[in-house]
Amino acid sequence: MKFFTIAFKDLKVRLSDKKGFISLLLMPIILTAILGSALSGMFADTVSMPHTELGIVLHDQNEITDQFVEEVLQGDILSESITLKKFSSQSDLKIDIENQTVDLGLVIPKGWGEGLQNGEEKDVMVFTDPSKQLQSSIVESITMSFIDRIASISTATQVFSQELAMIAPVTDQEINVREIVGDVSNQLVAVADSEMNVVTAEEDGKTPISGMQYYAAAMGAMFVLFNATIGAKSIIQERNIETLARLMSSPVRLNSIIIGKFLGTFYVSFLQFSVFILATHYLLGVGWGSNLFQTLVIGLSYCIAVSGIAMIIAGLIVEEKTADTVGGIGVQIFALLGGSMIPIGAFPEKLQLVANIAPNKWFLDSLLEVMNGTTWGALVLPITVLLLIGVASLMIGSLRLRVR
Amino acid sequence: MMLEVKHLMKSYGKRQIVKDVSFTINKGESFGLLGPNGAGKSTLISTICGLISYDQGEVYVNNQSIKKFPLVIKQKIGIVPQEIALYPTMSAKDNLMFWGKMYGLKGAKASKRVNEVLEFVDLKDRAKDRIETFSGGMKRRINIGAALMHEPEILIMDEPTVGIDPQSRNHILETVKKLNESGKTIIYTSHYMEEVEYLCDRIGIIDNGEVIALGTQKELCNRLAGGSVVHLDVENKTEQGIDSINEIKNVKHIVSKQNETKLEIYVNEAHETMGEIVTTAVNHGIKVLAVEVQEPNLESLFLQLTGRTLRD
Ligand SMILES: Nc1ncnc2c1ncn2[C@@H]1O[C@H](COP(=O)(O)OP(=O)(O)OP(=O)(O)O)[C@@H](O)[C@H]1O
Ligand SMILES: [Mg+2]
Repeated sequence: MKFFTIAFKDLKVRLSDKKGFISLLLMPIILTAILGSALSGMFADTVSMPHTELGIVLHDQNEITDQFVEEVLQGDILSESITLKKFSSQSDLKIDIENQTVDLGLVIPKGWGEGLQNGEEKDVMVFTDPSKQLQSSIVESITMSFIDRIASISTATQVFSQELAMIAPVTDQEINVREIVGDVSNQLVAVADSEMNVVTAEEDGKTPISGMQYYAAAMGAMFVLFNATIGAKSIIQERNIETLARLMSSPVRLNSIIIGKFLGTFYVSFLQFSVFILATHYLLGVGWGSNLFQTLVIGLSYCIAVSGIAMIIAGLIVEEKTADTVGGIGVQIFALLGGSMIPIGAFPEKLQLVANIAPNKWFLDSLLEVMNGTTWGALVLPITVLLLIGVASLMIGSLRLRVR
Repeated sequence: MMLEVKHLMKSYGKRQIVKDVSFTINKGESFGLLGPNGAGKSTLISTICGLISYDQGEVYVNNQSIKKFPLVIKQKIGIVPQEIALYPTMSAKDNLMFWGKMYGLKGAKASKRVNEVLEFVDLKDRAKDRIETFSGGMKRRINIGAALMHEPEILIMDEPTVGIDPQSRNHILETVKKLNESGKTIIYTSHYMEEVEYLCDRIGIIDNGEVIALGTQKELCNRLAGGSVVHLDVENKTEQGIDSINEIKNVKHIVSKQNETKLEIYVNEAHETMGEIVTTAVNHGIKVLAVEVQEPNLESLFLQLTGRTLRD
């Protein structure tokens, strides 16, 4: 059973890079905390409000400001209760409020959106007729919570990426942490701007999944996926430092070496997955559902899929740098496609169909199902798909590696 | 017969890297493969130890073909690769343990071997340190140690002293000598003539994928015609004088560059002929300032066979 020795050695090598491994463990946990708290239940407790004529003066031109106006104030949820009327100046707005043709007014100052992104807040002015106190406080709280969301995400990701850059200097073992955090945070801001973060409540009367739960599953899916690149790199590295040649001149069958490398990625992925489940549960109170066994089996299948993909990447790519780039981009595309950035329900139907090629989509979906409570029967399909991806890519990958 | 290589051929694409190589190595012998960069030493060794396949020919270890019994034969061979093929972030001990296990060692036996090997390569005090913290020479020693874990019958070493300081180099040479004296069969490749001369009973000189000379050091040097070189530092070189020296018995060839005060005289039996050379020179009005005799060695043999030096 020399492949166990090889796999265990890989786990050891991976753990010997403490900073890299810990940062890869911490990153999804921290991101879950940020996203889960910042983006969850934003509109969930919106009270029904009487129809409101809202006047607005925009001194600012910025994506974030646009998002606020178009997608928060005029988004699906509020568009029925709010009619928006734009004014070019504060005095025009005031006149209309006094005439009671407008219930309340918002003045967005210049540089507001950009300020939010950079962590400096500019006051929004709210004018109101004293009789419209209720509407006024609702709009105020919506605005405040939008401000909080953007601000907390941009500051948190800034601090976070600085911290990570400090604790995880990019060793050649490692994926480029700083770059990933940068990209992730860009996407997060995009997520925050959109209204997609309203996590879908289940129609069938089951408990809706909280934002924290959703993002825990999503981040878990995304970060375990990184092991596909890391595992592939470990093979490429062994080829470069010629330990692979040494292995091949020792009395170990090629199959054992291949299975050992596959298993090595699997060990690391599964360890990461387990630690993540435990940490998010105990630190962030994420409920992973009542059937831990289901979660475990899904996790196992996903890790098998990820380890298989590592073998394909290693079979196709020769240079470590290429693996880094391809892997980094690949993970991002898959993460986006598989719902780790934005709930997939928001995609056009065709894209949802394409998303089926992403193993993390199957993984994420089934984790969410388990959180909600589901039967084994419902999990057969995703588990089969994940296992098939794993086995097929292991076979393709090892064929390629054999040729080398 | 421990190892037998018969008409071995290997090419990459259209390029022939190993061209019809044959030799045998006896049990307990230490065999040197001497050749310049790119001669095909590593490729030849890789085919012998079953790492890469070969196109034609055969390799036998103890009369078993490596094609038919790859695992049996790999178990008998310990290979020290040219590169440091170790896991840099693992400790010396863990590396040795891992490679031991790859050769089937287990449990207490494996631990015992780790200690013995660490002792042997003199790195016991660094056992728990990561390989990446080691000096070049220390890495090389563990690289050798990893090949010794399973006590192979044949030890194949591919330039184990490349790029290290003289002290570590001597340490390694001593180690190899000890191993050979303890009965191990050794194949040692190098492009350092002195190493091969010091360590090896028999030597194969390889160039462009071909073994161009094979034998004991003595046999090889005897093959050299005009193997010794007498270097003269002179003043007043004359054509006539040089011609006269050239006519002396045993003198094969003279190199005399214009505007230089040196003469290189290729001779057999340098010491017997030296006196006559100097007398002849002086008689022709050439002033001899210094005389130096260079005995025949593998370097000069290589030069004679290929017209090039081993290292440029
Ligand atoms: N995988 C390969 N594909 C194509 N050509 C190769 C390959 N491996 C080696 N060669 C070529 O074979 C020739 C011999 O290489 P080899 O490494 O065996 O030489 P060497 O004698 O070990 O040299 P050195 O002293 O530099 O280690 C070189 O010209 C090299 O470019
Ligand atoms: Mg070589």
